[in-house]
Order: sequence, then structure tokens, then C-alpha cells
Amino acid sequence: MSRALLCSVLELRAPAATASSMRPCTLQLQTRLFNQTAAHIEPTMASSLPPAPPSKPRRDYGKMAPPKKILPNPPRPRVPTGPTTPPPTGPLNPSVRTLLPLLASQPGHYLSVHIHGRPYLVTEGDSIRLPFRMRGVEPGDVLRLNRASTVGSRDYTLKGEPWVDERLFECRAIVTGSETEPMRVKEKTKRRNRRVVHKFSKHMYTMLRISEVKICKDVVEVEQA
Amino acid sequence: MSWFRITLHRSAIGLPERTRGVLAALGLRKRSQVVFHPVSAQFAGMILKVKELVKVEEVDRPLTPAEVKAERTPEPGFWLESYVAPLIVCWCKPRGT
Repeated sequence: MSRALLCSVLELRAPAATASSMRPCTLQLQTRLFNQTAAHIEPTMASSLPPAPPSKPRRDYGKMAPPKKILPNPPRPRVPTGPTTPPPTGPLNPSVRTLLPLLASQPGHYLSVHIHGRPYLVTEGDSIRLPFRMRGVEPGDVLRLNRASTVGSRDYTLKGEPWVDERLFECRAIVTGSETEPMRVKEKTKRRNRRVVHKFSKHMYTMLRISEVKICKDVVEVEQA
Repeated sequence: MSWFRITLHRSAIGLPERTRGVLAALGLRKRSQVVFHPVSAQFAGMILKVKELVKVEEVDRPLTPAEVKAERTPEPGFWLESYVAPLIVCWCKPRGT
């Protein structure tokens, strides 16, 4: 039974109630019961949402000023843009002085270059797939490789201790792009548990092409420079 | 003031709790970890308790963890001589990321 009808029924049961004691709403309800119908108002979005709480600052600093944003250190460049250590100076080993011109005069040369400490045996025209994606390089960038542990030709080998002198060779590589491995799935599960999680991996690798391998022939010039 | 440079060379797996406690007191959690402690009788005593597991060196100043990490990081072995502008210009990310 609607509230309006109930109110009216109660009023009829207690007719002794005076006008002053009567609740104003019942009068309204009684009048609405017969003469009016409640207007149906479409609820707007704003009215349907709960009222927004009053805005309050998260932390009350009181009299202190809010802390200033501490800026991090400037980001490191992803790839070095110059030699990380200064080139070596000083005289060369006498055996290098005598035999390097012979090594350089032979037709083919190879180097064991180290990229992030890992050796790659290369010669001119080789393609290397690095076991990581080199950040900060785009296809077409030229990298100068300056860490070699071995430089050799058909009959001679120059072994570094631990590195061959940088001034004695030039090795350039061009970044040709990056490739991905085939998608591999690792199934992770526990014994006597039916739930199997599948983890997908597809790593990217940077490709380099060794564009230049040059061994310096003028040892005297290197020493004087 | 000189410092002990202590490197944990042998693992503490399978060793008694007392020995593990000494390593914890020195701050050594993993193998090949390096910690620095000032030279004093207390630290010398701790080192002697685990002398078979650690390698010790006396140095002038302690290195920060970043310096210790930089020590064992290999050189890059290359540098960028020249670069080309990218063919597809992406406004969202900076070049090379």
C-alpha cells in the first residue's frame, strides 16, 4: 500500500488530531493523492552520480612549502659518441714495430673485436648478430670498434695484452637493422597443479656489418702521433 | 684510515649458522660480493672467523657500490662515429629508444 494511502488511513483512524498537530506532509500527500500525480523527472547523469567529496589536499604541509621535485641526473647516452678511454700513447713493442708492416702487407686480415666484453671473430664484409638489441642506434649508423684482442693475417698474429693498441687498426661496422628470434613459449606449472601459465618471448637482436678492416702500415707515424 | 676490501669467494651453503651469522654481520649476502670495512680489531676478528671463504685486501678508501659495479662492467668496445636521420619520424619516442 502506498505511503500516501497509509497516511490517509491513519488520519481517518485518529480524527481527534487538530490542524496544528497535523504533519504538513500528510496534507500535501492527501492533496496529491486525488488531484496530482507525481511528476516523473528523468534522472540526469549529474544527479545519479554520488556527490563529489570536498577537495582536500592529500598531505597537509601546514606552514611548510610542498617539497620541490628532485630532478634525476641527466640520462646517460645509450651509446658512447666518442672513445671511452683516451687513446694510448708511447712507444710500441719492438716486435710490433718490426712485424706489423709484414702483417699489414698481407692480403686478408681478421680481428677478434670485443663488444661489451664478448669476442667476435670478424673480417671485412662479415655480418654479426649481437645477442642483444643495441639501444640508441638506428640502421645506417656507423660504429667504430676499438677493442680487439687479436689482429691477424695468414702468417702473422698480433696478440693484445689484453687489448691490441687502438692506433694500429681501424674497424668500422654499420648497423644494418635488428631481427627477432622465433616466438618461443615457456610453460610454467607445478606438480599436481593443472594450471599452466604460458610465457611468450620474442627477443630482438641487432645486426652489424663489418664495413672496414684496416691495419696501419706506417708504424713510425703511429708512434709519433 | 685504511679499509678492508672483503670479497666473498666461497658460498655459505651447507655451512653452520654461526659462520653464516658472521657473514651476515660483515654484510656479505652473495658470492663475489664486495664490502668495505674499516681496519679494526673487531672486523679483523670477523674476517678470521671466515678466512677460508673470503679474500681480503687493504685499501685507502672504500668504493661505493656504483664504483664496484663499474669496475666489473666491461668497456663497450665501440663508439658511434656517424649516424643517419631516421626514415620514419616518430614524434612519440626520442631517437634510438
